[in-house]
Amino acid sequence: MTGIVGSNFLKVDARDKVTGRAIYPDDIYFDDLLYVKVKRAPHPHAYLRKLDVSKAEELPGVVKVITATDYPDLNKFGLIIKDQPVLVGIGEKMRYLGDALAIVVAESREIATRALDLIRVEVEELEVISDPLRAMDDDAPAIHEDGNILITHYLDKGDVEKGFAGADIIVEREYRTQHIDQLPLQPEAGVGLYDEESGVIKLWVATQWLHDTQADIAQSLGLPREKVRIIQPAIGGAFGKREDISVHIHLALAAMATGRPVKLTYTREESMITQSKRHPMIIRAKTGATKDGYLTAWQVEVIGDAGAYASSSPAVVHKGMYHCTGPYNVENVRGVSHAVYTNNTYSGAMRGFGTTQMAFAYESQMDILAHELGLDPAQFRLQNAYQVGSLTPNGQVLSRSVNVRETIKKAIEMSDWKGVRVE
Amino acid sequence: MKKKGRGMATIMFGFGYGEGFPDHSIASVEIEKNGKILIRTAAADVGQGVLTVITQIAAEVLKVDPDRFYIIQGDTHLTKNSGSTSATRQTYFTGNAVKEAAEELLAKIYHYASLEFRSNHPQLGVEDGKVFRHDDPENYLTYWQLAEIVEKKGERLYGEASFFPRTYAPDPETGQSERMYVAYTFLTQVAEVEVDTDTGLVEVLKVDSALDLGKAINPQNVEGQLEGGTVQGMGMALMEEQVIREGITLNPDLTGYLVPTALDSPRINSCLVENEDADGPFGAKGVGEPTTIAAAPAIANAIYDAIGVRFYELPITPEKIIRALKEKEKNAL
Repeated sequence: MTGIVGSNFLKVDARDKVTGRAIYPDDIYFDDLLYVKVKRAPHPHAYLRKLDVSKAEELPGVVKVITATDYPDLNKFGLIIKDQPVLVGIGEKMRYLGDALAIVVAESREIATRALDLIRVEVEELEVISDPLRAMDDDAPAIHEDGNILITHYLDKGDVEKGFAGADIIVEREYRTQHIDQLPLQPEAGVGLYDEESGVIKLWVATQWLHDTQADIAQSLGLPREKVRIIQPAIGGAFGKREDISVHIHLALAAMATGRPVKLTYTREESMITQSKRHPMIIRAKTGATKDGYLTAWQVEVIGDAGAYASSSPAVVHKGMYHCTGPYNVENVRGVSHAVYTNNTYSGAMRGFGTTQMAFAYESQMDILAHELGLDPAQFRLQNAYQVGSLTPNGQVLSRSVNVRETIKKAIEMSDWKGVRVE
Repeated sequence: MKKKGRGMATIMFGFGYGEGFPDHSIASVEIEKNGKILIRTAAADVGQGVLTVITQIAAEVLKVDPDRFYIIQGDTHLTKNSGSTSATRQTYFTGNAVKEAAEELLAKIYHYASLEFRSNHPQLGVEDGKVFRHDDPENYLTYWQLAEIVEKKGERLYGEASFFPRTYAPDPETGQSERMYVAYTFLTQVAEVEVDTDTGLVEVLKVDSALDLGKAINPQNVEGQLEGGTVQGMGMALMEEQVIREGITLNPDLTGYLVPTALDSPRINSCLVENEDADGPFGAKGVGEPTTIAAAPAIANAIYDAIGVRFYELPITPEKIIRALKEKEKNAL
């Protein structure tokens, strides 16, 4: 019974998934199940002045409409910074179109959806900030109290001035990346059930970090952690999108308010507008090299569009910056990164966590330099690539498992790349 | 006209939370009475295969059929913190926690069996869920028989372990840190594309990938990650964009937001560079995120190779290509 590690052992969840036996949150039913829908902000940046839910409450089949007035003591939530409201109250601000104003609980999904249209909202509109560069202007209205620059990080190794002075060629370019949705096949969904006797709220809902999500829900509701029990059904993909709270707290409130099992499933549209995105980034990169093709200095400035709430932004944008040189030896590195609030759908975690955007910049820089120096791009990469003992932009010594040169050589072989000699 | 081009990208990814942020995973392994072995973990399997990976690891350590295992996961009230399924960390963190828990359990199997066999560790062996003396292998105890004996003593055949490596917070002014991330994964890809200069459409024909991952616990799952990651990166390079203007999403649906389908997928050749030289279980490193990172720059570089135009904004849509080619033509006149 050895050799299992390293073998193509069948995925333990494969049979259930291909036969349809796997239970996803939306597959869970109870006889007295109620359906939940969320009224979202009608404007990306505005004060909520009036919220009239009376017509919605009168609609037959509507069991309950919950607003911030019903739960005035809810705490904000968020992965790193707790800046996201569960429900926007009267006089409070909505900061993007995903902000929740009211929760409708009804006997059917159709009734709940119809009730949303009966909710009357009056807002006082503010300037919408969609461009992070505008958000950084001194005269831009502050989306959050402490201003629009959420966080700034710095990187400084060696002496970039000296490095650029020693370069025969310097390439300076600006790169831009886009809003991307992680697009897991299964949209956000969950079922909640409140047990009055024990005071425990059970939530069948996906999360990428069970205990952290539990802690965030509990602090938001002002409950001890053990009163929130999360059970993971099958998870239909994540890619970073299930790190943030989505249906969780709204389900808990609906379950507590009605005492009946409740289900909330996002539409694809709701999922795309409400939940996190890959950060659009503006990356200004300046790279110096000698004429024989060795890197001497690398400088970057990164501006990441955090959108309306912090989510993972305080960790994503500078992680991108820390990877600014790619896997190449550069003695002199300097960088600055800003995560900036806007009124766009908030950005968060997505596969690569800021380094995916940065790779587009550094690997374009490498390609441009190779062409301008008249070197083969593969050879140029190979001769600058890390090996054991190399120092990252953070000054970390790579002491083991640094086989990047081997990957370049293998790729050269596999693709029959001409113009480079592999020793 | 159709023009072919080829581009390379080499990337690195520091995995785990890093930056001194506490990062750990707790797991347990227990011999149950019903002929099964129970693993407990809170690691979320989002489809990537962590539950498969830890089953393989525990089976390898305990020398037992992997079908004997069942897993309790995904319940806050029945598991301890395993950290998130993110940061490319579960194989490395929960893989190591399960490996250590299984080793702890194996040590107990040896200990209690040595009492039964009036022997000591070096004289004992385990195979196929059985423990025995080397000089008398027919006279064995199964793990489950041993568990019953141990239970009568008020003990359990149980191992629990956590994996909690340290990293250090970077200096706020310089970003310098002795150990920023627990380890780094590297990947090189060569993309071959064909650009239709009349329509601006880019077809990705082939992607050759070489991944430095230490050790593949399950090679097929790694190839799955590489193929999925590459196609996701292709989406970033060529078509995916949620267009948000003045805070309003203009394409909140899969009609207006294009993602690559199986029909768009290129041939992907994978080479797994295995030196078993990392600190993960059996020398493994994480692969989840790195597999998507190289595709966009490799494709962008291949487009440059094909048509001589460099793009600085993603995605590189047919409209952008046509516009750039027209501009190039105009400038040439």
